[in-house]
Amino acid sequence: MSTSFEHKSVWITLVSLIVVLVAYSIPAGYLLASGITIMAPYVGLFIAAVVLQIVIMIFGHIAAALVSRPEEADERDRLIEWRSEHYSSWVLGAGVFMAMMLLATPIAKVWPTHLLLVSMFLAEILKATLRLVSYRRGF
Amino acid sequence: MGKADPLIRNTIRTLRFHHDQMTQRALAEKIGVTRQTVNAIEGGKYSPSLEVAFRIARAFGVPLEQVFQYGEAAPEEATTTSSPDSRPA
Repeated sequence: MSTSFEHKSVWITLVSLIVVLVAYSIPAGYLLASGITIMAPYVGLFIAAVVLQIVIMIFGHIAAALVSRPEEADERDRLIEWRSEHYSSWVLGAGVFMAMMLLATPIAKVWPTHLLLVSMFLAEILKATLRLVSYRRGF
Repeated sequence: MGKADPLIRNTIRTLRFHHDQMTQRALAEKIGVTRQTVNAIEGGKYSPSLEVAFRIARAFGVPLEQVFQYGEAAPEEATTTSSPDSRPA
């Protein structure tokens, strides 16, 4: 069975998120390991990562539109998205809570910032994964 | 315990066949959903909203209960089943 445009879009989103997370984590991890706690170099990296994700998403969706006719998300697509978001939001919530706890400590701000960033990425990756599972198993 | 699972069955595949072998895509376009959603409904993997259920019935020109049946006993023409875990919209 061929997949819908929305289904392909979720795959593109998942791939872009993983690529961007890895592309950001390697240099950022190196900077963190080097003991750099000022935000400026991370901001530059983050902007580059966002631009990379936008590029992947644009070209991915152009490719998807070439192989299958783009169509609006229907009620099943929306339901799958809402349910996946319901579960993935717990990851983001936990990340925000832990980041708030970290902010109450004298630790450098770069750590809670990255905790927020990682939880945001993981929540989005989980959401995309749950959507793909729902499309696969039926909903 | 001891309570049989209720089932939602549909006769979409049969109805499509009797309507000049209407394709899933044609039905999907008539009712405003994707072909994949029609496939999921037909296969009992997804229970549609009431609105879409009525649109399907209207597309075939039959009453809703001729398209969807709810209960333990399978009607003669029922082609598919779905579990109650398939959440309605």
